Amino acid sequence: MGSAYITSSLKQQTGLLYDCPMPTPILATKLYLPPVRSKFVARPRLIQRMDEGLDHKLTLISAPAGFGKSTLASEWVTASGRPAGWLLLDEGDNDPTRFLAYLVAALKTVTDKTGPTTFGAEVLGLLESPQPAPTESIVTALLNEIAAIPENFILVLDDYHVIDTEPANSALAFLLEHLPPQMHLVITTREDPNLPLARLRVRNQLTELRAADLRFTPSEAATFLNQVMGLSLTEADVSALEIRTEGWIAGLQLAALSMQGRADTASFIQSFTGSHRFVMDYLVEEVLHQQPESIQTFLLYTSILDRLCGPLCDAVLNGGADSSAAQSGQEVLAYIEQANLFLVPLDNERRWYRYHHLFADLLRQRLYQRAALSPDDEPGVALLHIRASQWHEENGSTADAVRHALAADDFERVARLAELAWPAMDGQFQSAAWMEWVQRLPDDLVRARPVLCVAYAWAYLNAGEMEAGAVWLRDAERRMDTSPPASESDDRPMVVVDEKQFQTLPASIATAWAYIAQARGDIPSSVTHAQRALDLLPEDDYLRRGPAAGLLGLAQWTIGDLEDAYRTIAHAMATFESIGSVVFALSGTFGMGDIRVAQGRLREAIGVYARAKELADRLGEPAPPGTADIHLGLSKIYREQGLLEAAEEEMQKNEALGEKAALGDWPYRLRRAQAQVKVDEGDLDGALALLDEAARLYYPTPVPDLRPIGALKAQVWLAQGRLADAQAWAVERGLSVNDELSFLHEFEHIILARILMAQNQNGPAVALLERLLQAAERGERRGSEIEIRVALALAHQAQNEIPAALAVLARALDLAEPEGYVRIFVGEGDPMRILLEEAAAASISPVYVGRLRAAFGEPEVSAPVNQPSNQPLVEPLSDRELDVLKRLGSELSGPEIAETLMISLNTLRTHTKNIYSKLSVNSRRAAVSQAQELGLL
Amino acid sequence: MDRQQPLSTNKDSGTATNLDVDRSQQYEIRIRGHLDERWSDWFGGMAITLDDDGDTLLTGPVVDQAALYGLLRKVRDAGMSLYSVNPVEPDK
Repeated sequence: MGSAYITSSLKQQTGLLYDCPMPTPILATKLYLPPVRSKFVARPRLIQRMDEGLDHKLTLISAPAGFGKSTLASEWVTASGRPAGWLLLDEGDNDPTRFLAYLVAALKTVTDKTGPTTFGAEVLGLLESPQPAPTESIVTALLNEIAAIPENFILVLDDYHVIDTEPANSALAFLLEHLPPQMHLVITTREDPNLPLARLRVRNQLTELRAADLRFTPSEAATFLNQVMGLSLTEADVSALEIRTEGWIAGLQLAALSMQGRADTASFIQSFTGSHRFVMDYLVEEVLHQQPESIQTFLLYTSILDRLCGPLCDAVLNGGADSSAAQSGQEVLAYIEQANLFLVPLDNERRWYRYHHLFADLLRQRLYQRAALSPDDEPGVALLHIRASQWHEENGSTADAVRHALAADDFERVARLAELAWPAMDGQFQSAAWMEWVQRLPDDLVRARPVLCVAYAWAYLNAGEMEAGAVWLRDAERRMDTSPPASESDDRPMVVVDEKQFQTLPASIATAWAYIAQARGDIPSSVTHAQRALDLLPEDDYLRRGPAAGLLGLAQWTIGDLEDAYRTIAHAMATFESIGSVVFALSGTFGMGDIRVAQGRLREAIGVYARAKELADRLGEPAPPGTADIHLGLSKIYREQGLLEAAEEEMQKNEALGEKAALGDWPYRLRRAQAQVKVDEGDLDGALALLDEAARLYYPTPVPDLRPIGALKAQVWLAQGRLADAQAWAVERGLSVNDELSFLHEFEHIILARILMAQNQNGPAVALLERLLQAAERGERRGSEIEIRVALALAHQAQNEIPAALAVLARALDLAEPEGYVRIFVGEGDPMRILLEEAAAASISPVYVGRLRAAFGEPEVSAPVNQPSNQPLVEPLSDRELDVLKRLGSELSGPEIAETLMISLNTLRTHTKNIYSKLSVNSRRAAVSQAQELGLL
Repeated sequence: MDRQQPLSTNKDSGTATNLDVDRSQQYEIRIRGHLDERWSDWFGGMAITLDDDGDTLLTGPVVDQAALYGLLRKVRDAGMSLYSVNPVEPDK
């Protein structure tokens, strides 16, 4: 996958270099329903209880280790005939994102039984977005998808006791609370989960099977020992064993294994039942002694493995030396499974296995003891871990290789593995997991490795820790410094594992400095560093040039160096395209479009989007991320050109494609665009609500925020006549007419001028606008220029300086005519209409002015704003619509309302549309006041 | 987690159960069945004493509540029957 190699973390943080979602890698072995053994003890009393509980929400199987919980669950699920998903949990699933990803994967095994489905696509999209949604919204989306599954099914969460963090647990609690009726949940656990069990019990929604239910009854014990395990014990023997083990199944199984092939079972039973020793201690010893020496060794050595397969076991036993063993690892595993020695298959091919956890723990204990007792004969536990690490490394499982290397305290090895793994892991957004490994290493060891230092620095930058990142960058630079060795004790020789990364290290360091400078708002040095990175990199190193060029482009954009920025970004995007990374290539579109708009080149901006659309279409379905943004961008431009139908059409395409096909900060930009629509329609309160929503969704990226929400709100306040609020904003932002001007704050200064105009301080406003105009002209920002000239013309008009106003306006019209601007003039309302009449009289741009004057009428006349209506409703509201209406009257946001009603956002929109049309209103606020008037609320 | 905070003081028995970071509390954990000496490592070096009733006493310093819960989890994961947990005076 090409994009996996694009090493910079930039893509994670910028909307521009969009991060293409990398699914959390899913281990199929965690989703494998453990097979039912051919010979087993039928347990009709338990199966019947579980069958009866099928209509309840939850079956809880809660008992200590070794009580046959998973076995029972898999037997029942298999016998029930219902489709079922299985998820074996481990400690890693305490990360709610991973937990939910696996939950989706397990549910997907249910929905995909009859062919692939798109189940979970929306949830996974939410999970992989750079700013994950709150867990509850994700679970809500998941619930909606579950509710659409056409058949009844079971989901088993095995080993739930490993979940001990609140986020994962509360995700499950929420799921359970709202569980759709077609789903039945089974939990196996060693301790009661922190779920509202008491409430479920009272509501009769819970079936519980506990240790007392699970332990073998005397007759089950007899069946097990004599039939399943092939012994022939008397009733008294069985009873003695049953009492000694208290029906504990693992204990009985070990006891049976100890007796298999033993002539004097009676004496075994006597000494076992007469002993006070912990059942497991006693029996594991017995069982091991029953096995040949080679099997004992095999069991002990391989007990360090979480998952076993034949070749891996061979490697751990022989360390890769030619196998002198009589049996291959694969054969031994088959024997161990056959012998009932607590080996659980993890797939149908009998490739991967694991030991029963309890058994593995006891084996490991003995392994440590044996290694400690006879250090000379035994290969030391650390060596076994290193062998396992080597095997995993050779077989491409770096995470396992590192885990074993850490267990062996082999830090050099961890450092080497980490250095080699960085590019791929960074490309897959596993920077945080990677960092956990390196944090375990002694700092000195890292410092000796410049490649590792730089990777570590990037990992910190990805995590938003600029200071820590800078420290490691400086360490790397010190290490790279070829001048005579420093006097410090820093005399470890430099270690480089990955020569390829080393060669481009100076460029990588420069890119990192550019990134840090950008994040700190130090744009000039960001430009310097990014430029230096590009100078250092060969022309054809597309992988590394892309991010550096992206940063440079962003910096140039931020300082208003628009033509250079456009060229740099276009070049970076072409680079991504040429290495086959279309999604990355698409990601620059929005920036390029915005730059063209700022330059007042609307038609070229449309061209940018058209080309991007072609690129996206080439990828086909599903539409790649960035496609929605293309339509959003077009909608904004058409709106500017007064092409309202086309704008609406593009907006609908954009919303239909939705977040799945969008860049990271799309939700924010969508609200902003919607707010503009509201402003044009005269619904100013609606616009403010959307802007507030946008503010909540905003997160800083290196993409310059040229029209901050605060300034947009101040603009709306001015339109509402809320001058004091707008003024307070300007004070809070510390804006003054004497400020040094910059492109980044251009819009805020324009709004400041507008505030001054509203205060009738046209003199200072004119002075400020003239300075802004000069700056825009210098930067050839014609879009800005038109905007500033419009304001300036109005300021002159307010001072009754009509000739000056017309002179300023004439140039704006010249610039705007070929690009088809409409809204920027028409949106100003009456003062501009009057000024255009003067322009018409003075024969300024007669055709264009005529068109603009014609455009004025429409929105004024047909604006259907808050038409009061006392008529009873022609079409009554449905119950559901009344539910929605009630919540519209609250403080809840749209997504929150959808959540409380357990419906999707789309469904909510449909309801809202119906309500508005039945109430003849077009905003939430109007709907509420109308409903109050009609006594509906 | 408020590790620094004293949990409670059992005034009746006079047993201090304050858990300071720098001062471990001695605990005694009673488990059903006699454990082999090798479990000492598993339980982080707790001393193992077997009593005549067939129980095992794990005794040793426990640095804080988190460590105590960790020990109890080990008891759980080994499938052992937990009988009691008590703070004790050192050198009892």
